[in-house]
Amino acid sequence: MSLQATIQPGAPRWWEGDLPHDFVRSPVALVAAASTLLIVAVAMGAGLIAPYDSNDPASANVIDARLPPGSSGMTGHYYLLGTDPQGRDMLSAILFGTRMSLMVGASSVLLAALIGIVLGLVCGYFRGLLDAIVMRIADVQLGFPAILIALLIDGITRTVVDRATHDRLAIPVLVVAIAASFWVQYARTVRGLVLVERGKEYVLAAMVTGVSPLRIIASHIRPNVMGSVLVIGTINLALAILTEATLSFLGVGVPPTQPSLGSLVRIGNEFLFSGDWWISICPGAMLVALCLSVNLLGDWLRDALNPRLSSG
Amino acid sequence: MAEPLLSVRNLRVEIATRRGTLLAVDDASFDIAEGEVLGVVGESGAGKSITGGAIIGLLEPPLRHVGGEIRLAGRRIDDLDAEAMRRLRGRHIGAIFQDPLTSLNPLMTVGRQLVQTMIAHLDLSPREARARAAQLLAEVGLPAAQERLDSYPHELSGGMRQRVVLALAFCCEPQLIIADEPTTALDVSVQAQVIEVLRRMCRERATAVMLITHDMGVIAEIADHIAVMYAGRIIEIGRAEAILRAPAHPYTRGLMACIPSMHRRYRDLPQIEGSMPRLDAIPSGCAFHPRCPSRLPRCDRERPVLAPAGATQSACWLTAACDQMQDIVAARHA
Amino acid sequence: MLDLGADILCVQGLTKRFAVRRPWVMQAISRQSRPMVHAVEDVSLVIDRGTTFALVGESGCGKSTIARCIAGILTPTAGTMTFMGADIMARRSRRDPRRRHLQMIFQDPYASLNPRWRVGRIIAEPIVTHRLITGRGRIEARTAELLMLVGLVPQDARKYPHQFSGGQRQRISIARALASEPAFLICDEPTSALDVSVQAQILNLMRGLQRQLGLSYLLISHNLAVVAHMADRVGVMYLGRLVEWGAAQDVLERPQHPYTRMLLDAVPDVGTRRERRQPFKGEVPSPIQPPSGCAFHPRCPLAEARCARERPHPVAVGAGWVACHAVKKS
Repeated sequence: MSLQATIQPGAPRWWEGDLPHDFVRSPVALVAAASTLLIVAVAMGAGLIAPYDSNDPASANVIDARLPPGSSGMTGHYYLLGTDPQGRDMLSAILFGTRMSLMVGASSVLLAALIGIVLGLVCGYFRGLLDAIVMRIADVQLGFPAILIALLIDGITRTVVDRATHDRLAIPVLVVAIAASFWVQYARTVRGLVLVERGKEYVLAAMVTGVSPLRIIASHIRPNVMGSVLVIGTINLALAILTEATLSFLGVGVPPTQPSLGSLVRIGNEFLFSGDWWISICPGAMLVALCLSVNLLGDWLRDALNPRLSSG
Repeated sequence: MAEPLLSVRNLRVEIATRRGTLLAVDDASFDIAEGEVLGVVGESGAGKSITGGAIIGLLEPPLRHVGGEIRLAGRRIDDLDAEAMRRLRGRHIGAIFQDPLTSLNPLMTVGRQLVQTMIAHLDLSPREARARAAQLLAEVGLPAAQERLDSYPHELSGGMRQRVVLALAFCCEPQLIIADEPTTALDVSVQAQVIEVLRRMCRERATAVMLITHDMGVIAEIADHIAVMYAGRIIEIGRAEAILRAPAHPYTRGLMACIPSMHRRYRDLPQIEGSMPRLDAIPSGCAFHPRCPSRLPRCDRERPVLAPAGATQSACWLTAACDQMQDIVAARHA
Repeated sequence: MLDLGADILCVQGLTKRFAVRRPWVMQAISRQSRPMVHAVEDVSLVIDRGTTFALVGESGCGKSTIARCIAGILTPTAGTMTFMGADIMARRSRRDPRRRHLQMIFQDPYASLNPRWRVGRIIAEPIVTHRLITGRGRIEARTAELLMLVGLVPQDARKYPHQFSGGQRQRISIARALASEPAFLICDEPTSALDVSVQAQILNLMRGLQRQLGLSYLLISHNLAVVAHMADRVGVMYLGRLVEWGAAQDVLERPQHPYTRMLLDAVPDVGTRRERRQPFKGEVPSPIQPPSGCAFHPRCPLAEARCARERPHPVAVGAGWVACHAVKKS
């Protein structure tokens, strides 16, 4: 007879469980969470915090181009992190860029999760032909690297629509492209969990009671499989941000008028060896900080949830 | 009186949890003589598996052995280091667990597991070990024993697997076997066969057995002595016939009465109200007092100890002669 | 139109076979037809209103499969099932309103309640699904009634399943089953996962509810003592077939079929101390390739040549039925 049953039968509610307890005792988790929150807050508040609106072309002064960090330009403005080749303030550019990276990253993760969870739930519950088809598509897609898929979708869109429309649609297309490469993980994990839950007796009881399948999936099964999705989502977020950065670096991501961290790195890339290091390194450092924090948080979350999952 | 083979005195096992330390086994004491079968009964959470685990040295954190002595053939074994305990296990103490599927290594053939165990503990050549393995398999009633040596566990049925587990437990001729729910996962017909094999092999080798189970029927078949556990404590202990025919402790009486039997019908089963307390909420005094139909005023204040009560020893204020109990309590505090 | 006849459930020739899952490539390569698990073969039984019919047998005998076929979780391969006069075989019959009179309670008290739902919501689900009562206040009142009926308190509706013990969870399952005002309850090993003292409480509760509400039970169990205590009629199953059935007292005290005899002999009873017993030979064969003729013949002490060829037809013996060549018609 399990020891757990003697002490506390079943899984405790999340707020009285081990998770918050582990959280406050883990320095890694605290630092990672604080750092992530800080970056997110600062980025989201870019419009209020940034000294200049870097998306506004009027704020760029070509006279002040390529100034090193900490210098004042001829216009009298102070540039904490220097300027880029067009005279834009690096600090503001980084703040707005981080916001863009976060938004694209988060949106694509949410979209991927939505697609993946829905497909996972439906395939896992109903099985049959639909399940076979979707899983084979998933298997095939896993053979392609995420970047390739994103490039593919972006390339197709470019050829299909004209330049102006493409510029307008660039960000949604980017989000869809990244989501399309990540949904498989969610779908597979959720499907596996659904297969397990489906055989459990509380689901059978609902079937015998006469509850409709859609209701069973939505109100019974879904709440019990969402836990794992959270873990995947956190780890995926860093990956999504990096994917977007890579695509933007390659020039097929966000449009140049609304740069993200990746595009900023790209812009500074040419000047790296002529000594103007800050144009690439500063956005790069921010990217590293962001992804590291998110990753560490996700890793801690996965480990913290794991022993509970396996001993339950 | 000959010295008992296994002697356990005042065993205490704790569990470390986030919310504090809980007592899983509280002051358990019992003896098992050579060749005897002690049945440890109790419901889930009573602490019987943990007691078995403590004796064989397989307690994993958060469980911790914190008190009491365990002696095997006169020698203390609870304070041995890991290496010495490892040599003791298998050679002197054998184990049988509940689930035959996870008790055997799925990647090794049955014969190889037996041979490996024997070579590790006994001084045998591989050929001798293999011959003995075949002999053992035949003894536990496995048909075509010689061929079976090369079978993998998943090729055998549940009953056959449990017999292999039996063979593994006996292969080094241990003096004591700890059997934790050996028949619970088996069908009734297979259960009978496995019990029969266990009984025969113990008789032939004069092996002592500590049989842990919640199934009173199995205990009735095979046990010489019975210890009844409740909330980590032994609340009654005595010869099997005495416990089965005339139990003294109200919990044991209630337990025996509420088991449905083939021969009673048309009456509601007597039942014990409530359920066994969780380890973090053990009542003061006698752990059973909230559910006891014969509760006395002192039962919620003073914790009873085992004292003679008729043909058995029972930890109950009602059954013990009061003066005898007080003598024992006084002697312990002295 | 509700049929108020004496039988509440009538099952004829129920058969359920499962195809063994194999990778389709292997299936395509090997020319043989897909191997089938013969879980249930040609089972017929009738349950009278207000009584308890128990199905006993060891693991793999098909008793749980029958329960799930009747409950509508599995679709039978063949046979007919009539519940309260209505045919419940067809898939579309699952939406039949009479279905709400058929409910089920399960073995594992830890898996039969959704861990994320409060107890009140769990119990109210059948009421909401079948729209038996509307209005939140009235539903809550009914939930409180049901909780008290099974020996819990109305305050328990606010709690989550993990805050209850195994026995209490089983009571909640019973309350949920009773919420749709059923006439018939399938109980699949309802007390096998419970301690003995808790089992006694639950069995007493079930008997009390049967008397109070006029329920009929189909009890699935491998525990013969529990069956002896609860059942009016008993059916013994072996490898998917019903080998003997009749009044509980007859079957359990004067068993006719050799398998029933050996099964009863093998039960360790607290009353019998160390009596010499008739040992069982061998083990239950695989249901993928059941033995020819009578499924029990490889292990039967009374087996003859005929037993390997012909499947025995049930014959009436006293008030019961036995499917065995060695038993003569009475």
